[in-house]
Amino acid sequence: MLIVDNLHAGYGNSEVLMGASLQVKQGSVVALIGANGAGKTTTMRAISGMIRPTRGAVMLDGQPVQGHGAARIARLGLAHSPEGRKVFGPLSVEDNLLLGAFNHLPRFFGFRAKAEIELERVYELFPRLRERKGQAAGTLSGGEQQMLAIGRALMAKPKVILLDEPSMGLAPVIVQEVFNTIRRLKEAGITLLLVEQFAKSALEVADYAYVMEHGNIAVEGTPAELNQNQRVLAAYLG
Amino acid sequence: MDTSIILQMVVSGAFMGLVYALIAYGFQLTFATSKSINFGQGELVMLSAFFSLTLLNLGLPYWLMVPGGLLFGAALGLVVERAGVRLALEQKSEGWILLTIILGLLGFSAAENIWGRDDRPFPTPISADALHVFGINITPLEISVAIGVFLVMGAVELFKRKTLMGKAFEAVSADRDAAELMGISATRTIMLSYGLSGMVAAMAGILISPITTVGPTMASALILKAFAVAVVAGLDSGFGVVLIGIFLGALESLTSFYLGSGWREAPGLVLLILALAVRPNGVFGKSTMRKV
Amino acid sequence: MDFVIPAQAGIQRQKQFREADKTKFSFHLHGTYLIVWIPAYAGMTDFSKYGMGIYDMLKRFLFIRGAEIIALLSLASIPLFVSNSYALGLLTLLAIYGILLIGLDVTVGYLGQVNLAQAAFLGLGAYAAGICVTTFGLGMLSALGVSLLVGLLLGGLLAFPALRLDGPQFALATLSFSALATTVLNEWEGLTGGAQGLSLDRPLLFGILMDAKAFYWLCFIFLALVWLLMRNLLASQWGRAFEALRDSAIATDAMGVGTYRHKVAGFALGSALGGLAGGLYAFNFQYLQPQSFTYDLMVILLLGVVLGGRKSLWGAFFGACLIVLLPNLLSNRLLFELISAGGLLVAIAAAWRGWSSSKRLTFQAVAPIIAMGILVVGGYLVENTENWRKAIFALMLFSVVVGLPDGVMGFAARFLSQLFRISPSELPPASKLEDALPTRQHSGNTLLELQNLKRYFGGVKAVDGVSMKVRAGQIHGLIGPNGSGKSTAVNVISGLYAPTSGEILLQGKALPQGSLFKVARVGVARTFQNLQLFAELTALENVMVALREVYHTPLPLVLLGLAGKEEQRAQADALALLKLVGLEAQARSRAKDLTYGAQRFLEIARALARKPALLILDEPAAGLAHPDVTVLVNIIKSIRECGMTVILIEHHMDVVSELCDVVTVLDGGQVIAEGTPSEVKRNPKVIKAYLGVESEAGLPDAMPQPA
Repeated sequence: MLIVDNLHAGYGNSEVLMGASLQVKQGSVVALIGANGAGKTTTMRAISGMIRPTRGAVMLDGQPVQGHGAARIARLGLAHSPEGRKVFGPLSVEDNLLLGAFNHLPRFFGFRAKAEIELERVYELFPRLRERKGQAAGTLSGGEQQMLAIGRALMAKPKVILLDEPSMGLAPVIVQEVFNTIRRLKEAGITLLLVEQFAKSALEVADYAYVMEHGNIAVEGTPAELNQNQRVLAAYLG
Repeated sequence: MDTSIILQMVVSGAFMGLVYALIAYGFQLTFATSKSINFGQGELVMLSAFFSLTLLNLGLPYWLMVPGGLLFGAALGLVVERAGVRLALEQKSEGWILLTIILGLLGFSAAENIWGRDDRPFPTPISADALHVFGINITPLEISVAIGVFLVMGAVELFKRKTLMGKAFEAVSADRDAAELMGISATRTIMLSYGLSGMVAAMAGILISPITTVGPTMASALILKAFAVAVVAGLDSGFGVVLIGIFLGALESLTSFYLGSGWREAPGLVLLILALAVRPNGVFGKSTMRKV
Repeated sequence: MDFVIPAQAGIQRQKQFREADKTKFSFHLHGTYLIVWIPAYAGMTDFSKYGMGIYDMLKRFLFIRGAEIIALLSLASIPLFVSNSYALGLLTLLAIYGILLIGLDVTVGYLGQVNLAQAAFLGLGAYAAGICVTTFGLGMLSALGVSLLVGLLLGGLLAFPALRLDGPQFALATLSFSALATTVLNEWEGLTGGAQGLSLDRPLLFGILMDAKAFYWLCFIFLALVWLLMRNLLASQWGRAFEALRDSAIATDAMGVGTYRHKVAGFALGSALGGLAGGLYAFNFQYLQPQSFTYDLMVILLLGVVLGGRKSLWGAFFGACLIVLLPNLLSNRLLFELISAGGLLVAIAAAWRGWSSSKRLTFQAVAPIIAMGILVVGGYLVENTENWRKAIFALMLFSVVVGLPDGVMGFAARFLSQLFRISPSELPPASKLEDALPTRQHSGNTLLELQNLKRYFGGVKAVDGVSMKVRAGQIHGLIGPNGSGKSTAVNVISGLYAPTSGEILLQGKALPQGSLFKVARVGVARTFQNLQLFAELTALENVMVALREVYHTPLPLVLLGLAGKEEQRAQADALALLKLVGLEAQARSRAKDLTYGAQRFLEIARALARKPALLILDEPAAGLAHPDVTVLVNIIKSIRECGMTVILIEHHMDVVSELCDVVTVLDGGQVIAEGTPSEVKRNPKVIKAYLGVESEAGLPDAMPQPA
């Protein structure tokens, strides 16, 4: 579904990503782990078009998308839930969700009715969001904001979801909840690329995983294989 | 001093204040999406007024002229965005301030040469004969200004709150990157905001012209007060501009009555500088936070 | 954040860079460097010390000082040969506008703010002088003094509120101020004569009748004085601070330089020059009207500064020439057509060059062609170009702002320095580290104490009741998973954020809250996770901006260029600190041209220049390649040897283990463990926070090296 080949990207005059390659098959959950500063978030940003890759290819469902702007890649079916969640603080929870489905809703009127089914699905997954649907997103707690960010990505009915550090800054109990959610998404057949610092938890839910070091994929394999690997142990920490 | 005269001053000043508020509202629209405003907005008001006058002179009825004028204003807004703002925003520089001033100057010079330097009357079907309400004179023209201002602001607010495009607009102002990830093009949203802002400016021109007449310099004083209203209320304050606009309109009307018409502009300017000293983000604005 | 330069590329780039370093200076010479900095260096250098560099130095001196001397001499001597009163009038105006634009350049160029009030200061200064002479019967020099003071005081008064915000609000405040000034000049008829205008006579100066020639020389002397004083000022720590705060206001505050006060000072200075120019203007025309000083003049002044080239005295001077000659250019049809056609050709040539290198036509290349094209075509169609004056200004300004952001002089300076390979002057030998960074004896007492510190953002509790103590002389690690509140905690300590609640004590005294500047002033220095360097300044200048306890020379002496010794000491100290972090070879490189690792080290050197009691390092190893991490560890070790107390936020567990005496672990905004690195690593809570699961094994000690 998503193929990344020899991707290079960076900020200003520093190249962060030096030829990363990875694949996400349809319906699978793939984890991208590695030390802080290894280039995980940069990979995500380069895939979704938030930064322009300097070299390399990104294929989404067989279609090359590298070099397009983020909005265009999103329209082609990629949903990126960014690091730090980035919910639209002043807007209500429901508006946040509706904007998630921006691409296939009418631009002016009648969009609420058209999004009904998706909204219900997200509310079922996260009943807390239904309780707070009128509340401004910025006033939610960190865990609720993370649920909203995931829900917003789901609203787009995307081919692939990129999930960047969903557990960041959350209390341990909430982190467990987040991973439970990811498991449920997996059962629902959602294709997911997951960046996580909690490597062990990530490996528990993933079908396949890549370990990044210094802007490159250092090791890859199934969770079972990786759990035996010394270098992966190092990546737990950073 | 007779209170009814003071009241009269306050009321007619307030109607003018609504026009300042309308232009200030146009600044808010572009500030929300791009943190930039058009320093040549006054010229945009003036050019739209001249264009509308030309439409009327060509024999178009008033009610058909209005949409024509608004479209022209929106088109000018788009030109300003493309030529003056986009590049500077991409470079994250403040060149847009200079560029919008420059484009305004160009528009001013064009108007001077195309339509001449003289002030011209702007015909309107609405009567300027005063009605007496509680001892105060109010003209239907003034009432039409108020109605026009609220109609336009109401329509834009409705658009922002009730349509998905409008919500996208708010999303871009809240978090540009995240909005892009939803498939919302920030560039197009900024274009939209400049188009809307141009339209709002055109409406202000059409509403005010019958009262002030049309001429190249018609908006130079107007725009300073609109700036003042926008800054005093806060560039992200929503309907705060209406209150501040009415307040400023009334205040300057009283000032010109007591100190002479030459001092008319002073209160707005003093208020603006004071507001920056006391509440840099405006009376109704939100405080911003430095980030690293 | 994920920032990394992989090891090999980093090293390779560093190598390339060192080679490039030798010739680099000629590439990046910018208006400022050529015109302002180099004379300063050249002037300070002791000739006898460096026999080898004498040729270079002579070349430098000839090109830079030589150009100045030639320009000044020719300006001074023109009236000896030319007695045409029209030409003399233009020259006088040139001197006046020169002063005015040098003042405007302080705000527009150095502070990087769009200032729309300079025309108003010209007017206020002019009226001040006029009123002094007509109403109070003052002499010329005292009247000029009053003009200057009026500019200075009103400028300061406006700057206090206006400079609290940047960008559009500042521009709006200055715009309002000028409108207000015009209103006052128009309406206060008793004092200014209102719209009727104000006539005045030129008083005698020292008993000499000031005819056109004498008055020109007076204006010229003022211009030369302003030029010299400003050159000295801009080459001092003041000029550096102006430039630094434009690049990163947060960092200037965090380095205790005081963004706000420098902005106000810079603006007041620029306004004072505007007032002085106004005084001369009054005596030149001897008739004043409020409408001479409106928005239209302001646009022309901006045209001068932008077209001439920002951040450069030469640029301001060139801009003044342009403004003075512009009316003549417009009234002469042939000249106008030649200039517009020339402009079009330049725009096309620039676009062609851009296209041949990247095969892409950018807006930046196309827009000037369109603008100049309109000018050329319009020039043929329009009957009277005078009527379209404003449109012509607008099109020219537009082309320059879009296509030539450095202005004519910025371009020329780059071109000339490449042509003649002018090299920078040599630096003094580095001070002893002991002088630049005195060793502290520490008693092990508590230096910093946090008491139940909280910081919430909306519903997110980033820091939720943190209490900890940092002992003097120790390296105190602050670790925790992403988002655990480490960065927010140090942002609160260093004053970037005000705490929601809680106390911070430094040496038992409450630390100022919510002000980077105040916290920096009491001895806390920090680095930033997302670098906040002064990108346009050199590595050396970055450190020099932050130096403490070096600059003692009072401002008047700085203006007279008598701060050379101090400047040399500052360079030597800064070099010592650069040496400490291994960057002395790149002292002359601009910060933005350094490799990522070097930029991180430079931030540390800059923070050390504060001689702080407490140094906060916010993820100094983030994004560093392995060899650089080793360098970093050694740097921090040598800092510890100086007795520095350090709070180290770090993700790399091996770095933490190697360096830290004590480690505090945060999770979810709360302290979950504290102790030595090895204690903390065995703490089950910590393991759970990091791995997300319970584990018996504990955290591994060190990162295995990549294969």
